[in-house]
Amino acid sequence: MIWGIVGIIVLIALICVYYINRIIVLGNRIRNAWAQIDVQLKKRTDLVPNLVETVKGYAKHEKEIMGDVTKAHAAMMKAETPAQKIRAATGLTAALKSIFALAENYPNLKANENFRLLQEQLEGIENKIAYSRQFYNDSVLEYNNLVTTIPGAWFAGSMHRTTMEFLEIQAAERKPVKVKF
Amino acid sequence: MAHVSFYDQIARNKRNSVLLAVLFGAAVLAFVAAIGWLMVPEFAVLIVLLAGVLVTLDAWWSYKFGDRVVLATVGAKPADPIKHRFLIDSVEGLAIAAGIPAPKAYVYESGEMNAFACGRDPANASIAVSTALLASLKRDELEGVIGHEMSHIANYDIRFATLIAVLVGLAAIVSYMFLRSFRFHDSGDSGKGGGVYIAILIAAVIFAILAPIATRLVQSAVSRKRELLADASGAALTRYPEGLASALEKIGATNKGKEKVSEAVSHIFFVDPNRSPLDELFATHPPLKVRVAALRAM
Repeated sequence: MIWGIVGIIVLIALICVYYINRIIVLGNRIRNAWAQIDVQLKKRTDLVPNLVETVKGYAKHEKEIMGDVTKAHAAMMKAETPAQKIRAATGLTAALKSIFALAENYPNLKANENFRLLQEQLEGIENKIAYSRQFYNDSVLEYNNLVTTIPGAWFAGSMHRTTMEFLEIQAAERKPVKVKF
Repeated sequence: MAHVSFYDQIARNKRNSVLLAVLFGAAVLAFVAAIGWLMVPEFAVLIVLLAGVLVTLDAWWSYKFGDRVVLATVGAKPADPIKHRFLIDSVEGLAIAAGIPAPKAYVYESGEMNAFACGRDPANASIAVSTALLASLKRDELEGVIGHEMSHIANYDIRFATLIAVLVGLAAIVSYMFLRSFRFHDSGDSGKGGGVYIAILIAAVIFAILAPIATRLVQSAVSRKRELLADASGAALTRYPEGLASALEKIGATNKGKEKVSEAVSHIFFVDPNRSPLDELFATHPPLKVRVAALRAM
């Protein structure tokens, strides 16, 4: 009898520990996932001035596109919160796309070794940004599922944990890139 | 849903690895003990101890360095940061998608399109691709293949697979040594034991012949299911099953299935490196058509 009660108490304690730890671990994973995105965004931001320098030598008079990239880069440097960073990053993605589309008209630029290397690097980073977002959203989904379903919701409530926001892909990113001549 | 089964898969792989290692180690020791007791009773204990030490060393060594051995057998070299930039980027990107540290990327020289992953856990893992695969696949297709290998790493298939490779090799060696030992064992001490002795000896011979076959059967059965699982979770990483499906089709049309690799490691590859008429029983991979159909149905 006494052992039965002890057993039940131990079992309940174990279940509590499991759910509380799970909520903390999954919450940490989301933070880590954001750090991954941040690293890639920073890497990309660091490469932009280099790209601008290279392109300038071949397409000086493309003022508008160059201006867009410089502006987007400046916005990216200023952004501090995750939401600001994501918004700025979307602008930078679009601006970079138009630079690479522009390069199609400048065979000399396209043939430039440095430009090719930068393009490859930036494409790689773009891919990683997409994957790190995907991982972020996967992590958020798992976390939200845990804290909104029973019994996880009971623990989340007492720990003052609520659901987290997904990173939405902004409308601008879905639009095709416009290239003016 | 997908995540739950993913974690289940990891737990199962870790558990099965330990279980398999312990069971197999015990079986080898029991076998050695029985033979030792029959042939040289006075040294039986010593032989068993020696075998125990060897099996433990072998297990530890393969756990620690199994990946390097596998990489060396195909002559894999680290991917070049400039020449193979795209491969490294794909590996890093998909590692991010899977939420694991980026594995090391390797390239090996081969006319057959293939790839594999090895290592003991995600923090100590490598992905190797053949030069033919790098040359013939488009971006989406290569990412599909890398995604497949990445999920082998993320769910600890690689640990289990490395273990199986070592055990298949070990079973072959032990049974070979035993069967050979008959040539040196004359009938001088046939006076003792009589019928029982012969019966046990016959049983041991049958065991020695069957053990390698049995481990091969386990290897192929376990491996085939894993390949389909890795296809599915790899596609979940790239979110584009078609890339992997078309990579498989290309490989099916190009590969001759006559790569010179040991049967003991054939299950770690992306597609079966050897094809034979016995494939129904021993193939380590499901037919390409089945894999493509499963991906297209997603």
